[in-house]
Amino acid sequence: MPEQLVIDGLRVGNGGPGRPVLDGVSLSVAPGEFVALVGGSGSGKTMTAMSVLGLLPARLALESGSIRLGSTELTTAPETDLDKIRGGRIGMLFQQPKRMFNPNRRIGRHLLEPLRIHAGLRGARAREKALGLLAEVGFDDPRAGARSYPHQLSGGMAQRAMTALALAGRPDFLLADEPTSALDKVLERQILQLLDRERAGRGLGILYITHNLASVAAFADRVLVMESGRVVESGPTREVLGRPQAAYTRSLLDASNLQPVDVPAPPRDESDMLALKAVGKSFSADRRSKAALAGVSLELKKGEILGVLGQSGSGKSTLARLIVGLEKADRGTISLHGDLPKGPQGAATAVQLVFQEPHGSFDPRITLRSSLEAPLLRSGLTAEERGRRVKAVLAEVGLEAVLLDRRPAQCSGGQLQRATIARALLLEPQVLICDEATSALDALTQRTILDLLRRLHRDRGLSLLMITHDMDVVRHMCQRVAVLYQGALVELAETAAFFAGPKHEHSRALVEASIPCRGLHLKQITGVQEASNPEEPVPARH
Amino acid sequence: MIKFMTRRTATLVAAVLLSSFAVFLIPYVTPGDPVRKIIRSRVAGDVVDDSTVESLGVSLGLHDPLFVQYLRWLGSFLSGDMGLSYVSRTPVAEQVMPALAVTVSLVAAALGTAVLVSLPLGTAAALRQGRRTDRLITAVTQSFIAMPEYWLAPMLVLLFALKLAVLPSAGWNDAASVVLPAATLALRPISYFTAAVRSGMLDALSSDHVFAARARGLGKTRTVLSHVIPNGLVPLSTLFAVWFAGLLGGSVIVEVIFAVPGMGRLLYDAVVNSDIPLAQGGVVVVVALAVGITTLADFVHRVLSPQAGAGLA
Repeated sequence: MPEQLVIDGLRVGNGGPGRPVLDGVSLSVAPGEFVALVGGSGSGKTMTAMSVLGLLPARLALESGSIRLGSTELTTAPETDLDKIRGGRIGMLFQQPKRMFNPNRRIGRHLLEPLRIHAGLRGARAREKALGLLAEVGFDDPRAGARSYPHQLSGGMAQRAMTALALAGRPDFLLADEPTSALDKVLERQILQLLDRERAGRGLGILYITHNLASVAAFADRVLVMESGRVVESGPTREVLGRPQAAYTRSLLDASNLQPVDVPAPPRDESDMLALKAVGKSFSADRRSKAALAGVSLELKKGEILGVLGQSGSGKSTLARLIVGLEKADRGTISLHGDLPKGPQGAATAVQLVFQEPHGSFDPRITLRSSLEAPLLRSGLTAEERGRRVKAVLAEVGLEAVLLDRRPAQCSGGQLQRATIARALLLEPQVLICDEATSALDALTQRTILDLLRRLHRDRGLSLLMITHDMDVVRHMCQRVAVLYQGALVELAETAAFFAGPKHEHSRALVEASIPCRGLHLKQITGVQEASNPEEPVPARH
Repeated sequence: MIKFMTRRTATLVAAVLLSSFAVFLIPYVTPGDPVRKIIRSRVAGDVVDDSTVESLGVSLGLHDPLFVQYLRWLGSFLSGDMGLSYVSRTPVAEQVMPALAVTVSLVAAALGTAVLVSLPLGTAAALRQGRRTDRLITAVTQSFIAMPEYWLAPMLVLLFALKLAVLPSAGWNDAASVVLPAATLALRPISYFTAAVRSGMLDALSSDHVFAARARGLGKTRTVLSHVIPNGLVPLSTLFAVWFAGLLGGSVIVEVIFAVPGMGRLLYDAVVNSDIPLAQGGVVVVVALAVGITTLADFVHRVLSPQAGAGLA
């Protein structure tokens, strides 16, 4: 019989003075309840989950409070009991499912572990059960799924496999720590629907940790909002999102409600900045020899913000890599116009790229100063001039100069993403390509980065290519939208026209997937009217 | 996987052929008349007069194009005929094969010991990272790097053969005579293997999937046994092969000091005596075996770590 999870007055710190990481967190999740825990990065969401499992990092300790699952007190339970509870009564999902599998083991063998430990199944019966679980979470061919290694699965399938793994011990309760942040909207919805089905079917209690309010609106019964280690607001979803009390909740909501009204005006100058003609690229034949890009023709106008939409694997990132010259196109031409900087490096530096993972874009061993000065080393500037340029551009992206002496690990994701943009600006680019530049950031940080990009677009007259799977970013930023599907350009339209009536089948799927999650449903709750979506609101689950 | 294996095997064959061609050229590029040198490695009796040299040169095909000669040389080599040693005047194959067997068992004993020692040491150091156990293990094993074989070997002989008189000081007769040379050879690999095991284990310990395994209720011990150790060992398979290949021809100091009739000693003697056929036979066999072992290690690595090379797109 499923039991209730109750956390009461949880306080977690490093044992010293200083501010605790968790400061009196209390929450409960009843069987069959879908509870969302919302907050920005560093607010203590994940540490709450770690406390439940008794797996806090070594530098942190539980100082006071209690965590009960049914009648079991988890904070004082011996390690052997906890090992039965972890994976047995409490399942866990993670943000990066692929990294959570042993890379050297097949999915099927992963599943046998919890089946043996928690369900006492061995041999043929365990294998049969493993296949059953894979089928349950949506593997069309469970046998092939069980035979795959983690790196052979797509992000979406990996999260499904992780769900099967979490369900293998028949838990009463599921901790889902940002299980969909790394997935696109279509996949996000599928995974959350899967979790919700398990919730309804077997009375699974779910604690859903996220910074994505739209998915909360679509699925959660109750919401708790955390800020710097405290629960600042809690209540039924409709109430919290509809009438937010805490200032933090309001700013989070604001940041999540990217509105289409203030899209920057289209450029007056209609000349092309960047022109792609029938560009094609396939990767070497010994992998899947499908073309990554098949004859894409596209123009980016001077001062334009063009959105490039598509699911994972649609060729978006290949497009970016081709434009900046990280890969060579097999066919077609990519030409750059406008006032290019002089010198042999001119054309190469006129287009700069901002990547998705800010932490992955910096050398972890050197300071930001060294990283930022690196592009200027060949410019012939003196050390002093370089320092001045770096400081100026840092101020332009809203960062303080003290950050220059830090290493990437000492900066937040938002700070680093600003630094990435600063580094791109140092070379005075004409075109900035943002490859999912805000997808890894929480809603608040995402909003500030988008605002920064809009300001740079306005002040510097940059042309922006926004590669994303996030419909709201497109709606909020872009004048035109291009949709890539399986390497081909299937639609190119003005943003408003695109959302009003997407032409291609895939575009329709993308637009529809975004409505109940991030679009209409949340906006309906928060009272934002959206003219471009005449469709009926999707009814709430209850 | 099949494709990978085919490609690697092709590389192996190419590498061996290329090096064998270089070895084949030795009589041509070293000082002296290549025809006489080759005749000396083919004919048991002494040939001095020019007319016999001329007629033998013709009958052995020594005036044919170089490449034809190479193919003929390779063919006889593959059929086990490696020519006659200048010094012993007996077939090279009869000397190379026993020496190879000796060295392979010596190296296997040394590296086997090194693995057996460094596995528990490296694992223990990783599990106790930064604590006294770790510091002690790391300090001691790292100091082995600084002990050259020509110093260590006499020290071991002094202690175990002369002072304690429990082990023979030289020779290759029984199991006891393997101990000192194998121990000498094992010491440096122990320090490299221990460091590799330690860092492999540390990587595995801090990886997300090990945390996830703990979160699924695999106890500490079970996680270490089934997720940390197997993954931490993957780098060792490559390192093992590199050392094995290196020691095949590189155990010369130890073999000379302990009078072990192995490959290193054979090659050393061949070079010192300018015994070209013996050197040729020894080098080709060692190269073939070394390349074969590293290729095999590549296959093993691919089996142990199937994602290697897959994510490079």
